[in-house]
Amino acid sequence: MREVGIVGVGHPPFGKYEGSLMAMLCEAAVAALDDAGLKTGAGHGVDQVLVSSMGASQVNRQTGVASALVDTLNLRPAMAETVENGPASGASAVKLGYMAIVSGMCDVVLVVGGERMRVLSGWEATDFVATMLHPEAEYAYGLTLPSFAGMFTRLIMAKYGVTERDLAMVSVKNHQNAMFNPAAHIQLVPDLEAITEDEDALTINPYVAEPLHLYDTCPVSDGAAAVVLCALDVKERFAKRPVKIAGIGQATDTHVVAEREVPTDLFAVRRAAERAYAMAGLGPQDIDVAELHDAFTILEIVEAEEVGFFPRGEGHLAVRRGETRIGGRIPINTSGGLKAKGHPLGATGVSQIIELVRQLRGEADGRQVKDAQAGLAVNFGGFGNNVVATILTREEE
Amino acid sequence: MEREMQAYQCTQCGELHHPLHYVCRKCGGRDFKEVPLRGEAALLTWTKVYNLPEGYMRPSLGFCIVEFENGLRVAGQLEVDRPIFGMKVRAVVDVVREGVGEDYYGFIFKPAQE
Repeated sequence: MREVGIVGVGHPPFGKYEGSLMAMLCEAAVAALDDAGLKTGAGHGVDQVLVSSMGASQVNRQTGVASALVDTLNLRPAMAETVENGPASGASAVKLGYMAIVSGMCDVVLVVGGERMRVLSGWEATDFVATMLHPEAEYAYGLTLPSFAGMFTRLIMAKYGVTERDLAMVSVKNHQNAMFNPAAHIQLVPDLEAITEDEDALTINPYVAEPLHLYDTCPVSDGAAAVVLCALDVKERFAKRPVKIAGIGQATDTHVVAEREVPTDLFAVRRAAERAYAMAGLGPQDIDVAELHDAFTILEIVEAEEVGFFPRGEGHLAVRRGETRIGGRIPINTSGGLKAKGHPLGATGVSQIIELVRQLRGEADGRQVKDAQAGLAVNFGGFGNNVVATILTREEE
Repeated sequence: MEREMQAYQCTQCGELHHPLHYVCRKCGGRDFKEVPLRGEAALLTWTKVYNLPEGYMRPSLGFCIVEFENGLRVAGQLEVDRPIFGMKVRAVVDVVREGVGEDYYGFIFKPAQE
């Protein structure tokens, strides 16, 4: 089978973007093309463009975004599609780009993920994200993603003894990592005692969806991120040594969360990771660095178990032992994660993959994991009803 | 008229669903009959949410997942002061979201003895 690598990455800072959605996407795309050493204009060499966005049509009232991007960047007549898979749109777009190259239809694919969400108020954003829930059985009740995360957390706490402090430790770790990532939205580190034990902890860190607090949930961010994929058999065209896409796995679960057979499992995470490991010929013990979808701190802990880093019910113990910090046994969310880097939905999956590329290239500066050879990203759509796992490996000269 | 919520029973194998699916999760059947979904249920998990979506003019709202005596699990709103795992709650059907011209009805779970 034809092999595929990533030869260019572009990741402008997440946060509040003042320009248009299109300008934001173009900024990331051009940065990725530059990083790959591709020129713009005639002879650009891009066969296909994929844009991942969950809300362009709903939030920014723009459709046909990929077609517009191709023209704005003058990449015509490249093929173009917009990909929507909720918060897992980014990894889905990379997967489709991978498939396009493996099929032989394309040699070079540009994937651009982006979301411009800060035009919404907090409650409008929560409502927009909740539209991926079941319209009658969930959304109509006022249920939201934080609601399901809160109910899930309560079950996990009761079953495995996870505490609110454990969750806060995940948050503090990810904020610490984000301090070394200039693209992260939130550049501050909360004090663990101040957000858990201190007298006014509930004022600084109020409940959002009990037992989850403000510091357990990701912020609303604008942001775009882009990668250039290429067939490894044409890698000579590019400036940088490719990072190989060694495995991709995806799985779905029930749309209606209440219908899950085991309510404390994230089945689609487990299955997606198993498929990615099988394709890569690797296992959890081979992974040196991971980006897990911590839209809520509890998800980082349970995903780490589902992908096989820790036995079930022991993820929080690994957090207490510092095993998921940079320098620990398996550093998780070195980028700052969704918690601190931000979660512009359609950009997130691409952003996670970019962090792995940086780690595997040895370009992660102050957050570099020493001698990282393989990385795993988990991009989680819905409340875990559509999950994409991607494994990247460092290719030797 | 009192509103009622429905479960959807596969006419081929008897499997209950809520909400309606187009194909039975157990046998692949495609025909369902409506069965009233009501009565008592056990509280499986719950939350109190403070950042409500558009359209709710209140500071917080309780939500839960319960299991009915027939084994069906559903999500709904929760109006219980001190929730406890496994406690019995009673399904009431009332307005769960106000809409322009059309309110949406669904389950609100309340204490079993009142």
